[in-house]
Amino acid sequence: MGATAMTGTEANGKSKRFAGVGRLAWGMVLLGLAGFVAALLLGEPQIAWRAYLVNFLLFSAIAQGGLAVSAMASTVHVYRSSFPQLAEAFSAFFPVSLLLFLGLIPGAEYIFPWLGQDFAGGKDLWLSLPFLFTRDVVAFVLLYALGLMYLYYSLWLRVGQSAPQTGLRTWLAGIWSRRSPNPETYANRRFVLGILYLIAFAAVLSLVGYDLVMAAEPHWYSTLFGAYTFIKAVFVGIGALIILAAALHINRSVRMEIASWEYIDAGKLLLAFCLLWADFFYCQLVVIWYGNIPEETAYVITRTVQAPWNVMAGTVFVLGFVVPFLVLLNRRVKTLPAMMTGLCCAIVAGMWLEHYLLLAPALGGAESTVLPLSWADPVISLAFLGIMIRVVLGYLNQFPETLEPVAGSRLHGAGGN
Amino acid sequence: MANNTVTLTALFQEDVRAAQAVRDITSPSWRVERVCGPVPSEAIHQALRGKKTPVGWFTLIGGLLGLVTGYGFASFTSLRWELIVSGKPVVALVPFLIVGFELAVLFAVLGTVIGLILHTRLPAYGDEEDNPVECTADRFGLVVQCPAAELGELQAFLEERGAWVRRQ
Amino acid sequence: MATDNTTPLSFAEVDQTVTRTLEPAGRLYWSVVVALLLGMGFGLVCWIYQILVGIGAGGQNNPVHWGTYLVNFVFWVGIAHSGTLISAILHLLRAPWRNPVARAAETMTVFAICTAGLFPLIHLGRVWMAFFMIPVPNQRTLWPNFQSPLIFDLVAISTYLIVSVLFWYTGMLPDLAAIRDRASGAKKRIFRALSLGWTGRYQQWAHYARSYLLFAALATPLVISVHSVVSWDFALGVIPGWHTTIFAPYFVAGAIHSGLAMVLTLIIPLRAIFGYQRIITMGVLEKVAQTIIFTGLIMGYSYATEHFIAWYSQSSVEMEQMAFRMFGDMAPQFWIMIVFNSLVPLLFFFRRFRRSLFWLFALSILINIGMWFERYVIIIGGVAHDFLPHAFGGYAPTFIEYGIMLGTFCLFFFLFILFVKHMPSVSMTEMKEKISEDQAHGQ
Repeated sequence: MGATAMTGTEANGKSKRFAGVGRLAWGMVLLGLAGFVAALLLGEPQIAWRAYLVNFLLFSAIAQGGLAVSAMASTVHVYRSSFPQLAEAFSAFFPVSLLLFLGLIPGAEYIFPWLGQDFAGGKDLWLSLPFLFTRDVVAFVLLYALGLMYLYYSLWLRVGQSAPQTGLRTWLAGIWSRRSPNPETYANRRFVLGILYLIAFAAVLSLVGYDLVMAAEPHWYSTLFGAYTFIKAVFVGIGALIILAAALHINRSVRMEIASWEYIDAGKLLLAFCLLWADFFYCQLVVIWYGNIPEETAYVITRTVQAPWNVMAGTVFVLGFVVPFLVLLNRRVKTLPAMMTGLCCAIVAGMWLEHYLLLAPALGGAESTVLPLSWADPVISLAFLGIMIRVVLGYLNQFPETLEPVAGSRLHGAGGN
Repeated sequence: MANNTVTLTALFQEDVRAAQAVRDITSPSWRVERVCGPVPSEAIHQALRGKKTPVGWFTLIGGLLGLVTGYGFASFTSLRWELIVSGKPVVALVPFLIVGFELAVLFAVLGTVIGLILHTRLPAYGDEEDNPVECTADRFGLVVQCPAAELGELQAFLEERGAWVRRQ
Repeated sequence: MATDNTTPLSFAEVDQTVTRTLEPAGRLYWSVVVALLLGMGFGLVCWIYQILVGIGAGGQNNPVHWGTYLVNFVFWVGIAHSGTLISAILHLLRAPWRNPVARAAETMTVFAICTAGLFPLIHLGRVWMAFFMIPVPNQRTLWPNFQSPLIFDLVAISTYLIVSVLFWYTGMLPDLAAIRDRASGAKKRIFRALSLGWTGRYQQWAHYARSYLLFAALATPLVISVHSVVSWDFALGVIPGWHTTIFAPYFVAGAIHSGLAMVLTLIIPLRAIFGYQRIITMGVLEKVAQTIIFTGLIMGYSYATEHFIAWYSQSSVEMEQMAFRMFGDMAPQFWIMIVFNSLVPLLFFFRRFRRSLFWLFALSILINIGMWFERYVIIIGGVAHDFLPHAFGGYAPTFIEYGIMLGTFCLFFFLFILFVKHMPSVSMTEMKEKISEDQAHGQ
């Protein structure tokens, strides 16, 4: 996969093309931060911390799910396309995600309704701040460490031969030259780490789903909730990946080469996970609906049938399932980058609303009767979006070879059917 | 069929050669009666200027019919007695989705079968008697009819494209 | 995937290898068939006895009213699913290791569904009452209750049977034509009738290829939905240990897990007896083993989640159910389930186990035993030990149940070995397609 080494001016030129977007991203971050501080100062810490939690979960899911796509491609399904290597760009968010998680500690009283409640049988040990934060930090560290180790080997295999242009690359090149890596060993290690990352992904996201989302209603439970969380993460990760790929493809100064069949394959994967997400939602719904046990149904009724959340629930269903299902049935649509970007923006927005819908009824109730969002929600979301854009651009600046097509991918296309 | 026509069977080892032969036959007096082979071939399909198959429409219509039938039938049967069973509504959309979904798949498959039968015109007993037996084994067959006078020319034409030729 | 260093097969070699298996069978074969027939006969006798005496001839009673008949039902439906996974889902994913085993897997599916379909009838007791389930207008003015999971089952399993048979038969058409063209006498007449006059004309292939893809695309959601529906037979009730949202994906993963193990159990002897080593290579078996690792991990995750949430919920009935499973009367079956289903498959991480025919076969048997016991633990454990301690009870299968179980296992293997000796057990057409694709890519 040898990308040729770039000259210094080339590298500078390539990093300049993202400069505009980078500045915009910083602007978004500042605006969002201002919004967060404003909400705190205005005496509405509830909506500020709620928005923080929802965004933290969504953007971390995009990052974790994005890298999971790359890991799946290199372990389970041979996927000769540029998408998996592009997906690795999302792992740049990992360190940020960890810091943001620690940033939740000051807001604990607003996002953990179980604080101060009494539970029986050792559950109060489980739902206690120190234990929860400790185990979740350990879990995130484990997941992100495995992800970054996977990335380390993957990067060597893809860009290790090129001359470094940036500080991070030089540091990495230094490490690699001291280790004198062997391609076969590194490919094997990447394979093993990919599998370990996927196992950790399932376990950690399940734990985070139980701890940060399900526990918001501490007396409600659903065994499928953990799996539902990580399937959602892959779904939204693929959506974000397609947005990124399409944006890079359309952008005049980048013009990343992506073949039609790569879009079609990504579109199929997106449809598959859309169906899987909807299926996991239905599996929970049908069991709870049919059993009709009040301690289970209260959660679902509040979020799907009762005002004011029913409109949001309908919106989530339309954005997350109906629209993607109908649109993705058509093969041609999958090859139009602009259409796919629009669709995936709808999906990511739908998943944002879904996270909000699960959490908000427990974390502070409704503001208006139609769409119970507050002004802080879109503003604070901008900050997280800005951070995500900034770190992904940073990654692409460090590793511009990510934008080169995978060697041979144009010749050995998977072909249409 | 004209009296003085002969039929030649040309057997190719590769589908691309057979496709090329089909494309190269431009003489109006040479008629390609059939092209057959043991596996599907995109090359031959394109050489024959085959159109996209409409079987998919049968599938879609079947699927939609099945979804409506499933929901409709389940709702209809529930409404006949209007009994409330374990607190569930009489017409319960959540569980009826399962019946609707399964029947959608079933009717879609049946639609596909109907589409396949209508378009391939199977069963076609008797058709296999005129068929070169190698076509179900390991050769791509081209059966061409030409006037008796052009037999030699046709045979040479096919052989130079890599075929093994015989009289039918 | 390790290379097997075999020279690529030609179309003619594929034909020869497969048609050779259809030659008249020897005495050993027919002895096995007769033995299986005797087993089936014994099962039938047991069933007739049950019809005459009543459903009480089996061990199900209060409180365990669902016994081995349901366990076997779920077991066989589960096995059917991985056949469809291999033949349909892997077709959509264009996985190259699918083609050599697709036919045998799809055959396994059809016969497993047939076997599974017997059990609701056996379990009825008064078998003739089965017509109550069929939704036709009648003078009783009754309709089945479409809100009942048991009717969901009827719809789902019938759909699955019809779709699988059509998929299986359509897939066989070109192969049946190939055999017709090479056979003579009575065999030729039979295959001529079965192959519907298929000639391989390109007008036919265009519609056929698209139809086959559509079949695969439609069978795929059935893999998920049918076993989800079967799981909802249990999950839609409120019994502790049954009423849990994870059941649908858990059962689907379990179905694929046991089905892949049964694929190995069937294909390893088939490969040896029929000389299919160049077609069903070690690489293919290895891929099956690797997929088993994946489904085994899902099983482990599901077990852990169920137990964790039972504790987290602090629901006394849930916790009691889990404690009963782990330490109560059902403990041996429970621990067999845990070890055989989630720990044993991890051995396939090691190349030594994946590449050894002995270990592949042995572990596949262990996994099937473990999966059978999983259904036993879930179904019987749930009802034996639910809400009221005074209603707790036990269950043991009776001789009649064991007899029927023996009969149905014999039925499955009987159908399968009858098929493989008289019909093409490897899809010649799909093998040829794979060969020509490999040639086109210059490999």
